[in-house]
Amino acid sequence: MATSLYGASEAQDVICVFLEREGDTLQRVSLELLSKGRELADEVGWKLAGLLLGYYRMLPLMGQAFEVGADEIWVAEHPLLKTFTVEAYTSAAFQVIMNRKPSIFLCGATPNGRDLAGRLAVKLRTGLTADCTDLRMREGGILVGEVTGFGGGVLALIETPQHRPQMATVRPGVFPLKPPRTERVSRAVEIISVTLDEAQVRTRVVEQVVGRGADITQSPVVVVGGRGIQGRFDLLRQLAELLGGEVGATRPPVDSGQIERERQVGQTGVVCRPKVAIVCGASGAFQFTVGIQHADTVIAINTDPEAPIFETADYGVVGDALQIVPALIEALRNSRVAVASG
Amino acid sequence: MTQVEHLTVDDVRWDTLFERTRGAVALCYQCGVCTALCPWGQVREGKPLSVRSLLRRAQLGVPDDHEDIWLCTACAQCESLCPRGVPVAEVFQSLRGMAWEERRVPKGLPSVLWSIHWNNNPWSQPPSHRSRWAKGLEVPRFDPSEHEVLYYVGCTAAYDRRAQKVARALVKLFQAAGVRFGTLGDEEPCCGDAAKSLGYTPYFEEIVQNAAQVFAQNGVSRLVATSPHCFDTFRNYAPRYQADFEAEHYTQFLDRCLSEGRLRFSREVPLRVTFHDPCFLGRRNDEYEAPRRILDAIPGLERVEMARSRQDALCCGGGGGRMWMETSAGERFANLRVQDALATGAQVLVTACPFCIACFEESVKAVGAPNLRVMDVAELAAMAIE
Repeated sequence: MATSLYGASEAQDVICVFLEREGDTLQRVSLELLSKGRELADEVGWKLAGLLLGYYRMLPLMGQAFEVGADEIWVAEHPLLKTFTVEAYTSAAFQVIMNRKPSIFLCGATPNGRDLAGRLAVKLRTGLTADCTDLRMREGGILVGEVTGFGGGVLALIETPQHRPQMATVRPGVFPLKPPRTERVSRAVEIISVTLDEAQVRTRVVEQVVGRGADITQSPVVVVGGRGIQGRFDLLRQLAELLGGEVGATRPPVDSGQIERERQVGQTGVVCRPKVAIVCGASGAFQFTVGIQHADTVIAINTDPEAPIFETADYGVVGDALQIVPALIEALRNSRVAVASG
Repeated sequence: MTQVEHLTVDDVRWDTLFERTRGAVALCYQCGVCTALCPWGQVREGKPLSVRSLLRRAQLGVPDDHEDIWLCTACAQCESLCPRGVPVAEVFQSLRGMAWEERRVPKGLPSVLWSIHWNNNPWSQPPSHRSRWAKGLEVPRFDPSEHEVLYYVGCTAAYDRRAQKVARALVKLFQAAGVRFGTLGDEEPCCGDAAKSLGYTPYFEEIVQNAAQVFAQNGVSRLVATSPHCFDTFRNYAPRYQADFEAEHYTQFLDRCLSEGRLRFSREVPLRVTFHDPCFLGRRNDEYEAPRRILDAIPGLERVEMARSRQDALCCGGGGGRMWMETSAGERFANLRVQDALATGAQVLVTACPFCIACFEESVKAVGAPNLRVMDVAELAAMAIE
């Protein structure tokens, strides 16, 4: 077994979390990892650091990281770190890690996080426990990563006792987000200079595109159309826009090409968890309702009072969605005008 | 210049597959009857599912990351005429199992297995709601000293609102026949059909062993299942894991109630119906007559056959885990099956499987046949009792 570039005796008592950005905020998974990292660090009396790579507007991100528990932030700024490329990020992270020698390095199991963690582990000659479902500390500062499969039979607990840093990736949503800290603690920002060479970077960022058709799984309001709305998704789009939500659909309108497949809600489409789901002209087949059952409130509009959708709905309107939705749009617009001119 | 596909032969892969299919994959001698019979050929013009070539690649140990391995509905159409008796669906399940190990799995399928793990059903439904279908009915908890049989509802009939009606009809029929029965309520275990069909065999084994254990603890020696899928799992797979109980499909049980004179149909049901054989009842378990005898015992009911029936019945498309995968609009077997039913002039397309019902009801709308009703044998039978 190859030895890692630095061993347990040289490693510092620090847990480092890779901070991934999404526009002007940190990704939720990074905050989740900081929350968990805080808990682990407190158990053994270590420090918690965040690793932030980038080029511009780093300050608000640091504030966020401190709020959820980081003691210090290691920052590397470089024009080549402006957008994520696996070569530049791996090289920069490697240099920072070799400079600070943390005992533990955690990364979100996002597409970029996975890419980075794998390369970094190889470069550092250390182990990586990927896709952990839980993390805990054992005596002697050993990180135990829980990795699970289906059923209880394939649970594995993985340690990296000989190598440093001990690395793990964790999927988004595994750890809860702790409320921000109020007490004033030490907040140190350390700028670490890194050397990057443009020739190293073999990835060229041609264009950054935010996924077309926003992710309806994240939307607080989803307006779903079924066969009964006869393809009038333009109406539903107006309603969704007024409510700050997204449009979804049942299977038949998707089949007939009235709306993209990405917006299909249900067992073979997406399962969403909005605060409010407004279901228009859908009978409520079980394979569809599976997709909205986690909504806080379901409002159904259907002409048929016997439609099974009313069994799933918290509120039901018996009537034609094609008449009710335009009326609702008008009412919403009027109330906004009233508020605006108020 | 001709493009030649370069294939890499992997002996370890072949050995693994040989072992997992208990040698069955070696039997294939490449006649191609399977490809010719496979229903995918009827919905995919010029691009059938080449079962034969997938089997050949498997025999050579060629890694298959082809999405085609996820198409098989386990309908057994090919198996019924395979001259070498290759259990094709099981080979597909083994290929899927390898895909799981290599993490090449279509989106959405891991959550089906996670749902069984967390919720004890593949439909992401809360375990505490499992017995809600029986609200307002008198369905006692199974007690071996009192009850002759366990009614095994199954996940789909327990949660799918459409299929719940079938479970409720069955309770009515059991009561009319004076059957002493009970259920396991919220503790009823999942049969694991979804995990088996999706090829995650180690977990399936765990589920079915757990089910057998729950049945043993509750003193169950005989059960009647709503779905042919659960019935097939309990009848054909559970015995491999030292399970000690007998399983029947409800059509078999009701058929016996009729012949023993426990159940009588007195009300006329003047409908023209055609029966669709669910693959897991017919081809997989050779039960073609029990559901037909039940239908024929209903006064006033006229039963007609579709052009392809019994051994030749066309699959609805919902088996083999396909209930949890999307099938594009032009490729649904159920659309063709609805056309088959329409051609008979029947008013009702009747079947005996909750998956078939879900697929057909969707296709009746898609094909635009609002006058064709989709019903379950149990629902028609319940109409015939007082």
